[in-house]
Amino acid sequence: MNCKSLLSLTAILHCSLWFLIPQAKAASGDAGPKLPQLDVQTYASQIFWLVVSFIVLYFLVAKVAMPRISEVLEERQERIEDDLDKAETLKKEAYLVKIEYEKALLSARERASNATRKAQDEITKRGAEVEALANQKVSNMLKDAENRIEKARLEVDSGGDASADTLEQSVARDIVGDTVRKLIGVDVSSNDIDKAISNTVREQTR
Amino acid sequence: MASPVEQFKLKSLVPLELGGVDLSFTTSSLWMTVTVAAVTAFLTLSMRGGRLVPGRWQSMAEMSYEFIANMIRENVGAEGRKYFPFIFTLFMFILVGNLVGMIPFAYTFTSQIIVTFVMAATIFVGVTVIGLIRHGLHFFSLFVPSGTPLILAPLLIPIEIISYFVRPVSLSVRLFANMMAGHTMMKVFGGFTVLLGVLGVAPIILLVALTGFEIMVAVLQAYVFTVLTCLYLNDAIHLH
Repeated sequence: MNCKSLLSLTAILHCSLWFLIPQAKAASGDAGPKLPQLDVQTYASQIFWLVVSFIVLYFLVAKVAMPRISEVLEERQERIEDDLDKAETLKKEAYLVKIEYEKALLSARERASNATRKAQDEITKRGAEVEALANQKVSNMLKDAENRIEKARLEVDSGGDASADTLEQSVARDIVGDTVRKLIGVDVSSNDIDKAISNTVREQTR
Repeated sequence: MASPVEQFKLKSLVPLELGGVDLSFTTSSLWMTVTVAAVTAFLTLSMRGGRLVPGRWQSMAEMSYEFIANMIRENVGAEGRKYFPFIFTLFMFILVGNLVGMIPFAYTFTSQIIVTFVMAATIFVGVTVIGLIRHGLHFFSLFVPSGTPLILAPLLIPIEIISYFVRPVSLSVRLFANMMAGHTMMKVFGGFTVLLGVLGVAPIILLVALTGFEIMVAVLQAYVFTVLTCLYLNDAIHLH
């Protein structure tokens, strides 16, 4: 234990002291043990000055030095606590801001994905509409064409010469009309031309 | 060659007599005054700036303050707060008194048995009075360790009483003997150095080591004296 070791240290030093005293006596050649500390004559003065200096020191320490030290220590303590408090507040604030930021980020992300999805939907819808319209047109045209072909075929099948000749007749009429105008400079009515053509055709087939 | 204990002899510097009592200002008084001045200067000058971030000196002053504050908190508790100025003064007085004694040609007033004894006796009386005021007659239960079988009481109570009354003696002799022995030993080795001539290098080396050791003892004994004061105070306040 600490106290024990200190005591033994003291004891050792003490023993060495008592060992030294006879030597000291021999060296100085004094008669009798004269340890100056045991000189009672000096006690009054020492006690007096001890009391005086200790009391003076007590008042200097207690009234002058200690208030100053404790003031500085308290000030520092307060400052440290203040700073810690401030740091705590700022930390909380930063945390709240961070949460807010994350929330904002999340909602922005959601909005962005919503917008993208909407746009995509729109594009798909619009594409489908256009395609349907085009398909409709194409199928209409096809139907139209088919109808016409069918009609033409029916005409060919049922109408015989009259209908079959229509194209040839009109071409022949045009050609005859043009030729007559070029040759003799007379406009001939289409009926006359038809008559003439049919006559010619009849003669030849006979 | 002068006796190794010759150094403890007091020289009267300013003769003073009051009512037939010799109250001369001696070397011992001079170094007490130096101690008072040094402690005051140390504790006030170093705190003059009072900076938030202490420098070296301010740090030392604050450390000694907190050292004693912690010592009281640990050994006495909250009730010891009142006695803080006294114990702090006591510690600084003994510590600086021991340390200035290490300056060559200085006088170590703590090597005077009467000085240490007056301090120890004052503490002893003070502590006893504090105990009596706080606990009245119940204070005497201090002499009966708790859990003592009744049959052992006649044996233990005298032992406790003796150990209690030996406190001022042991407290004062511990400090006085340590300081005196250290300085005597240094003087002896110093004498050897002179006697041995060239060979005196050996004791000088020892003397250097011894000086370091003595500085340690000076601090240690101031600490021991203060800690024991705290423990006695704790006994008086809390009765074991």
